[in-house]
Amino acid sequence: MKGRFAWGYAQHQDRITTPLIRDSIDDEWRPVEWDEAISFAADRLNAIKSEHGVDAIGGITSSRCTNEEVYVVQKMVRAAFGTNNIDTCARVCHSPTGYGLKQTFGTSAGTQDFASVEQSDAIMVIGANPTDAHPVFGSRMKRRLREGADLIVIDPRSIDLVRSPHIQAEHHLQLMPGTNVAVLNAISHVVATEGLMDDDFVYERCNKTSFKAWLDFISLPENSPEALAEITGVDAEAVRAAARAFATAGNGAIYYGLGVTEHSQGSTMVMAMANLAMATGNIGRLGVGVNPLRGQNNVQGSCDMGSFPHEFVGYRHVSDDTVREQFSSVWGVTLREEPGMRIPNMLDSAISGEFKGIYIQGEDIAQSDPNTNHVAEALKAMECVIVQDLFLNETSHFAHVFLPGTSFLEKDGTFTNAERRINRVRPVMTSRTGLSEWEATCALSEAMGYPMPYESASEIMDEIAELTPTFAGVSFDLLDKLGSVQWPCNEQAPTGTPIMHKDAFVRGEGQFMTTPYVPTDERSTRKFPLLLTTGRILSQYNVGAQTRRTDNVVWHAEDVLDIHEADAEARGVKDGDWIEIASRAGQTRMRARISDDIPAGVVYTTFHHPVSGTNVITTDNSDWATNCPEYKVTAVEIRPSSEQRA
Amino acid sequence: MSTAGDYKQQHLIKMANQIASSIPTREDIPGQISAHMRQFWTTEMLKTLREIAAETPDILSEDVHSALQSL
Repeated sequence: MKGRFAWGYAQHQDRITTPLIRDSIDDEWRPVEWDEAISFAADRLNAIKSEHGVDAIGGITSSRCTNEEVYVVQKMVRAAFGTNNIDTCARVCHSPTGYGLKQTFGTSAGTQDFASVEQSDAIMVIGANPTDAHPVFGSRMKRRLREGADLIVIDPRSIDLVRSPHIQAEHHLQLMPGTNVAVLNAISHVVATEGLMDDDFVYERCNKTSFKAWLDFISLPENSPEALAEITGVDAEAVRAAARAFATAGNGAIYYGLGVTEHSQGSTMVMAMANLAMATGNIGRLGVGVNPLRGQNNVQGSCDMGSFPHEFVGYRHVSDDTVREQFSSVWGVTLREEPGMRIPNMLDSAISGEFKGIYIQGEDIAQSDPNTNHVAEALKAMECVIVQDLFLNETSHFAHVFLPGTSFLEKDGTFTNAERRINRVRPVMTSRTGLSEWEATCALSEAMGYPMPYESASEIMDEIAELTPTFAGVSFDLLDKLGSVQWPCNEQAPTGTPIMHKDAFVRGEGQFMTTPYVPTDERSTRKFPLLLTTGRILSQYNVGAQTRRTDNVVWHAEDVLDIHEADAEARGVKDGDWIEIASRAGQTRMRARISDDIPAGVVYTTFHHPVSGTNVITTDNSDWATNCPEYKVTAVEIRPSSEQRA
Repeated sequence: MSTAGDYKQQHLIKMANQIASSIPTREDIPGQISAHMRQFWTTEMLKTLREIAAETPDILSEDVHSALQSL
């Protein structure tokens, strides 16, 4: 619904099609020609570089943009800015997937193609809501479920899959927010102690020392479903039944979303799922695997394209001399060997006065990132904020330069989806801004003294292929011939790789990791007794910048807060009432909706409308390994409000 | 500590202690912390953490102090 039908925003009257500049964020915007905007932006960034050094500036890439557009932004930051201060909006969604799967399997990507689900006998859906957030794949999964595959849902909410026409989850483990790792440990405990492991797979494919350490850990009584039931809120026998169903079904597949990653233990949870898949032999063939359902259309691609501050394209560390010299040689510039800052570190440094300028491609961090007040303070402290986007957004309130972007209907390039499939996107309308986004980035880079003279998006992909072993065989010619291809695509796999880790893991042997449950610091208290979790709905996409500008808004005119009847009654709240929601980070207001989709003690809302200020109340807690924000657990209190909006 | 610097310093303290308490495989924790920081932290972040360790040692865990010695 959101992708196939809600594309009218491309012609919306709010589209900005002319570059805008202003000296101060208190001034009015001034429309200018491209040359003047580029020159203005380059002069400001170069002035900051001269006065404060290269580490005073950085950039953020977008998972809505093409691989080629992302590639040139990270190249500009590393080569023209001279720093590794480059990060991506994937930081706030699936960065734990990259970390966790690389540690255990050796590569930062899902293991299967989408068609694999048609061979699954048991499907475990954890912290994901495919029918709303991934409706195309959700339909495919539902077809398999209607054919009889067992369904295990692990989620605080009763998502549609739990009970919908012709589908009933055999197992719904309705855990308390923040206890994913405890539940997965309990499931693996049952698998390990009831003789449900695939010993042959473990013996042949996995590292024995790490397996032994994991087996000793997971078999401890403290990891049993009975011991963890009080923490997780899940009945021990229900956990045991789900574990037996998954391990004995034949082909067991795990699908997961941001309800896994956006926690203080997001990376640990990804590793816990990888452990379970290896222990039960559910890796390396159709119907199985560990499968992230991504947040946006090109999350996989933006990560692949070197958007993280510690990695070049293809997930290779910047400190690797051989890799760095390869990039230096092709790019003709000396590159830094130390990692750059992540988004939260850039923002902190801005507030402390050391970080002064940022280029933000297609991400509205003032709406989408946690603790909005902190983000606003950081942006306000900078001397040069450049936003490249379709519409003026919350972040552009703090910007000095606005570079108009292009919608997917105007783009020429490639997107890479959650099954590692590189797809062509071709323009069906001419750019309303006069330039492709990659052309605007290249113009800025040249104005800063580092030309990137590409003639086409195809030429950019050729450079990506030259520098990236997993993309070595990819070209627009190949994509035109085959339609699409899944990486790795190279001499060993000239038509791509549908299933990863078939005969061996990318890292060689699969690595088990012990995964102790460490509770988040964010706990319900007397002052904030409820736990807020957030999510998305079918008709809206991400922060809604596009879908709010289509007729889809008829189905979702505002964000509301779902609250259990018992919690509502205790606070004198009725369905449709305006309420105030307060956390230790901030407060906002929205309407309440009484719902039995959530258990008592938990409340839920979406973040599609900026006026809701959902991220005003989320905290700056984050995943220990990647700093992915903990959107899914915020302690709050609710009270009736006599006023409407905050 | 200045007010402006508090955000940065508090977040670095929290990050370091959280890495120490959350590193999955609980062997050679200082070694794992230093490997993690070498992979993901900037030189400036490490410098600031060292200053914090010297000025307010009690605020960081023993494992973080041990990790800093090997960095």
